[in-house]
Amino acid sequence: MTNDKVSAQNMLHRMIVDFTANELAPIDMKIDQLGDYPEGLFQKVVDNGLLGITLPREYGGAGFDYIAAAQAINAMAFGNASMAVTLEGHFKTISQFLKYGQPELLAKYLPSATKRIFAFSQTESSGGSNPTGISTRAVKQGDDWIITGDKIMITNGGLAQVYCVLAKTEDDQMAVFVVDQDMPGFQFGKREDFIGLRGTPVGEIVMDHIKVPDYHLLGEIGQGHEIGNNAHDDARILMGAVLAGIMKHELKIAVDYSKQRKALDTPLYELQTIQEKIADIAIAKQNTELLYQHGAELKTAGEPYSEIAAMAKSYGSRSAVSAGDKALQVLAGYGYSREYPIEHLIRDARAMEIAEGTVEKMNTEIATKEVAK
Amino acid sequence: MKIVVCIKQVPNTDTVKIDPKTNNLVRSNVEGIINLFDRNAIEAALQLRQQAGGEVILLSMGPNSYISSLRDGLAMGADSAILLSSRKFGGADTLATAYVLSEAIKKIGNVDLILFGRQSVDADTGQVGPIVAEELQVPQVTFAESIELQDKNQLIGHRLLDNLVQEVKVHLPAVVTVRDEMNQPRYETPLNIQKSFEKEIIIWSENELAVDPAQIGQTGSPTVVKRIYSPEKAGRQTTTLPTDPHAAVTQLLEELNN
Ligand SMILES: Cc1cc2nc3c(=O)[nH]c(=O)nc-3n(C[C@H](O)[C@H](O)[C@H](O)COP(=O)(O)OP(=O)(O)OC[C@H]3O[C@@H](n4cnc5c(N)ncnc54)[C@H](O)[C@@H]3O)c2cc1C
Repeated sequence: MTNDKVSAQNMLHRMIVDFTANELAPIDMKIDQLGDYPEGLFQKVVDNGLLGITLPREYGGAGFDYIAAAQAINAMAFGNASMAVTLEGHFKTISQFLKYGQPELLAKYLPSATKRIFAFSQTESSGGSNPTGISTRAVKQGDDWIITGDKIMITNGGLAQVYCVLAKTEDDQMAVFVVDQDMPGFQFGKREDFIGLRGTPVGEIVMDHIKVPDYHLLGEIGQGHEIGNNAHDDARILMGAVLAGIMKHELKIAVDYSKQRKALDTPLYELQTIQEKIADIAIAKQNTELLYQHGAELKTAGEPYSEIAAMAKSYGSRSAVSAGDKALQVLAGYGYSREYPIEHLIRDARAMEIAEGTVEKMNTEIATKEVAK
Repeated sequence: MKIVVCIKQVPNTDTVKIDPKTNNLVRSNVEGIINLFDRNAIEAALQLRQQAGGEVILLSMGPNSYISSLRDGLAMGADSAILLSSRKFGGADTLATAYVLSEAIKKIGNVDLILFGRQSVDADTGQVGPIVAEELQVPQVTFAESIELQDKNQLIGHRLLDNLVQEVKVHLPAVVTVRDEMNQPRYETPLNIQKSFEKEIIIWSENELAVDPAQIGQTGSPTVVKRIYSPEKAGRQTTTLPTDPHAAVTQLLEELNN
């Protein structure tokens, strides 16, 4: 990497640290309690150009690589995990456009990706782990495709305006198409009432005979699974970054408290039982950082990163939940109180044992790869 | 409008560490950032550009490491940046610094407005802006909490002083030193960050400027720091005279006679 590239990345990181400290961290608890972003917050993210971090310059974005993007998301998650996940959902979707989209499609949509969110949807009410069971259909009609179906639990669903949707063709082949909210037949459905990441909207879209031209197909017919898995891989690196950010937050709360609270005359941090917990959280945070950063480096270098990405999210999500539990125990009574953020950090981290592939699915993938080596 | 914003790089106090043995600042590896109030000055310049058009030029005197802060200012949206850098400029006090800055501003030419932060957070003198105004023989508005362009040639500034706000009108070109009350500096944007690395930072040394060697660097710096302390606040009474000149003089004479 050139010096300028490193410096630009550092400057981006500092900008996100500042933005997070001023705009997000102070309202982290409020976002959780509100179950939404307060009025105007998302617009600030847009106005400051954050949606365009990874978008190539030719489309009006800043063209940072995945290493810089993951670092930015990590810094943001330290202050608020919901907004970091909103960016994660957008960045991973843009990656699929760039990798699989036809020039006409990119020219039509990507210039707007600095202003509007793009989302990726596979899950249906029939299940998320086994997408072969989906019932969304794509029927060829002349040069166009007619898409009909119902997608649920989409990260940024409702907030996003452009959606990649996994569908089955008449001959049962999997394919991904792009639809947008302005198309006739497009409707938003219900927003999930999830227990964590409560700022991030997760919702449903209903597609009733939406007509899209052929170039709205990502990749080729039959490539749907591959694209869905690739989207998972890209998301998992960034979720690793979110999880490391959550653990940094958990660690800070535990460390700060252990310095200020005393057991009679002894500061908590001098107690071995407390030290054990602080060390566990710190180690898990560090490991997750190494995993997501390595995943981002491999992706940027064009090398296989699927297994590392799965490790980052599998290890990171379980660790962040357990680290939150340990931090809670350091604060004990106050940790159990909703006046302190730890309980919501645990709920936030818990989402990532499920979203973008469950831990069980990821571990199956990791084991399969290890066995095949 | 051609606006020059003079900025200084200062150590980021968030990352500054104290050496536990010597009790001194650990200067190596300390991240340099734009002086807090200078960010407000840049913001003020960007807002004026938005309103009146023109360009915002950043100017700084210091070693090459200051380039990172100039880039930071470019990433906020400034148009160009000039670094005044030379071994000969080293060891300058406020007088020698202001002299070199003034010569650079003359070289830039046709400058309408020169903005400074109200003071630097590391040295705290607040002198460089006023000295530049004297060097250039232009009016100055120090400690401004707001500025407003009247027309192309005039500006109204509000100076926020200890217990009062003073409204002053000046002709351009002028020097303004900006308080943090004036605005909320914008963030850099990711795109502007990238663009800031594509812009060339112009570097001028004594060879590019018409400077008198006796007035630069250590040689041109008469200041001797003997002691640093906070002066006691003198509890003097202020009487505000009426705005009508006649009435003001009458009352002043009365007060003096008492
Ligand atoms: C916060 C959040 C955001 C989300 N965002 C999106 C999004 O943007 N786009 C999207 O498409 N979906 C999204 N989802 C949905 C998510 O991808 C699914 O919830 C997930 O894939 C699991 O599917 P499911 O809930 O239907 O559980 P199921 O698939 O029914 O699984 C139930 C249980 O069985 C296990 N299981 C099922 N099949 C297997 C298998 N083959 N091997 C091993 N174990 C298995 C699972 O691990 C799990 O424990 C999101 C979910 C959450 C919580």
